[in-house]
Amino acid sequence: MNPNPSFIRIVGLQRRYEMGGTIVRALDGVDIDIAERTFTVVMGPSGSGKSSLLYLLGGLDRPTAGEIYVNGERLDQMDENALARFRRKTMGFIFQSFNLISSMTALENVAFPMQFSGTPAARRNERAKELLAQVGLADRAQHKPSELSGGQQQRVAVARALVNDPALVFADEPTGNLDTQSGVTIMQMLADLHKSGRTVLVVTHDPRMVRFATNKIFLLDGKAVSEAEYQAVALEPLQANFGG
Amino acid sequence: MKFLDLLRLVFNNLSRRKARVALTAIGVVIGTSAVVILVSLAIGLQMNANEQLYGIGDLSLINVMPSYGGGGGGGMIYGGGGGGMTETGDTKLLTNNALQELRAIPNVVSVIPREYVSANVFVTYKKLQGYSNVYGVGTDDLANLGLKTQQGNSLLSRSSIVIGYMVAQNFMDPNQRPGQEPPPPPDLYDQQVQLVFAKYDDQGNEIRKNYSMRVVGVLAESGSEADYSIYLPLDLVKSVNEWASNTTINYNKVGYNEVLVRASDPDHTLEIRDQITAMGFQANTMLDFVQGINNFYSILQIVLGGVGAIALLVAAIGIANTMAMSILERTREIGLMKAVGATNRDVLSLFLGEAAGIGFIGGLGGAALGWLLGQILNVVAIIYLAQQAAAQGGVPPSVAVYTPIWLPVFVLAFSIFIGMLSGLYPALRAANMIPVLALKYE
Ligand SMILES: Nc1ncnc2c1ncn2[C@@H]1O[C@H](COP(=O)(O)OP(=O)(O)OP(=O)(O)O)[C@@H](O)[C@H]1O
Ligand SMILES: [Mg+2]
Repeated sequence: MNPNPSFIRIVGLQRRYEMGGTIVRALDGVDIDIAERTFTVVMGPSGSGKSSLLYLLGGLDRPTAGEIYVNGERLDQMDENALARFRRKTMGFIFQSFNLISSMTALENVAFPMQFSGTPAARRNERAKELLAQVGLADRAQHKPSELSGGQQQRVAVARALVNDPALVFADEPTGNLDTQSGVTIMQMLADLHKSGRTVLVVTHDPRMVRFATNKIFLLDGKAVSEAEYQAVALEPLQANFGG
Repeated sequence: MKFLDLLRLVFNNLSRRKARVALTAIGVVIGTSAVVILVSLAIGLQMNANEQLYGIGDLSLINVMPSYGGGGGGGMIYGGGGGGMTETGDTKLLTNNALQELRAIPNVVSVIPREYVSANVFVTYKKLQGYSNVYGVGTDDLANLGLKTQQGNSLLSRSSIVIGYMVAQNFMDPNQRPGQEPPPPPDLYDQQVQLVFAKYDDQGNEIRKNYSMRVVGVLAESGSEADYSIYLPLDLVKSVNEWASNTTINYNKVGYNEVLVRASDPDHTLEIRDQITAMGFQANTMLDFVQGINNFYSILQIVLGGVGAIALLVAAIGIANTMAMSILERTREIGLMKAVGATNRDVLSLFLGEAAGIGFIGGLGGAALGWLLGQILNVVAIIYLAQQAAAQGGVPPSVAVYTPIWLPVFVLAFSIFIGMLSGLYPALRAANMIPVLALKYE
């Protein structure tokens, strides 16, 4: 079967925040199509709306206006239960700040999402061990997050994102809090996920990630722009980061 | 999410914050144990009162009195005008015909007239004098009134009387000098006593009439007025009253002053009482009094339970506070749960479960503590009340604080419910959080 060229389809997407009378346009009319089994890197200066976009695609937030289709299903019109189901079955999310539950061991953290799909405890355990081994942490299963390095914590988070075998993987600056070596490991893992047939979207500032990309999205002030426009602005970094 | 997984997660989350959960639960313990103790106390008091009341006399007995019409004057004034008002104040006398009507009521076993002596009366025995109620009853055997004897028999005749068990206690020496020891109560059983009746003529001179009677029986203690009464045959009292008032008495015309109706069983007392009232007589029974007392104790239970419930209300606010704080602290965790696929219902169940868990822990502790303190209080109170009973006379109680099994069970269920109720608002807030905002929360 050929990959779906519009696996993700965004039409006129807007996300506005109202803050004490002023309106922040985090996303200001974005139209993008993303094909299935691609590795997309989202780039843009700080505050350009990268995280906002990823959260909306992951069903963690609701748009102010516009349409989001994932595999033909309209995300922005789903009710809470359907959205929870989407988060549980279709996507895995990796955060910059890991977001592990500090009172749980690595194994419990990885197994945690499967509780909400009603997987039996024995099966959960087995699957979580399998994934921890896959990210090279089989010997750290009983460690709490505080007993793990940042890189190890992020690997646990990657394992957790994969536990329900999602078709879509989102990562918001997954290497942002990591040293170079750990960052490379995580990047390699994301590349492997892409190779195994998943659709991967990564927000990053790291130029090394671009090597893996099959696809790039550039955001400026809440709008999707071409690489040429983006490069033009990137030449004036001061203006891009602190301007208007 | 599976129920067992939910329970395990609730348990793990509660044990993560042991100190805070314990402190919040202590509030519930105080509230629930207060409810258990106070309601147990009210129930114990009621049982105690019932125990004492059941000695108060025969609950199958109904006192019937005639009704003399026009008692409510209002009826007279307005009755003639519009005619809309029914005249309920008919005179109903307790004539022998009326007694036949009463006997015809189903489940009535006896209908016995009882009359006071209208002259002054006292009893002398050797040098002692005693004052007691003297009744004439229209039966030759007091057993028909449900009275039992502790000595002798209960048969009345023109020369024999039966006395209550406290009657001998009211005898004294009229010539006793101040400071002198009072004589011990005489043993009157099978003794000859003098019944002395006295009236005054037109000049104010006292005229006496004496009867020599044998005490053929002493009644067993009944806790009622019978303990202090002397029983004579009705016709003897009738002739004394005729002598005292210088008239002849025709009960078919004036009726008896009082009739005692006995039901076959206390269960029938109230229905018979209602029928007699419907016939136009006045009818009273001890059962009304007992029921009034029971109502009082039911109200007492509610009031005392309410006092405990106030403590529980404070505890509920504590739970709400703890849950609100815990949800603030765990906002990011809630965001994460939702990000990995928890439904709003999962989140709601989890936090309601934690709140219910605090209620459960507190309720369990409170029910156990309340029960235990109730037991201790019961022992202490019984000792105290028994001392009181010994000093003042009366029946020593067998129970003071009583915890029926339904009370701790109810209190436990109630505190779980209270927990959930207090946790409802915080839990709803958690369930409806937008994942991304929760995840970004600092
Ligand atoms: N919850 C919020 N309330 C108000 N404004 C918000 C909120 N979240 C984001 N914004 C604003 O929306 C805009 C886009 O934010 P977003 O987090 O998407 O940027 P970003 O591209 O991810 O930046 P960075 O690279 O620094 O992470 C910013 O101007 C930000 O201030
Ligand atoms: Mg961001």
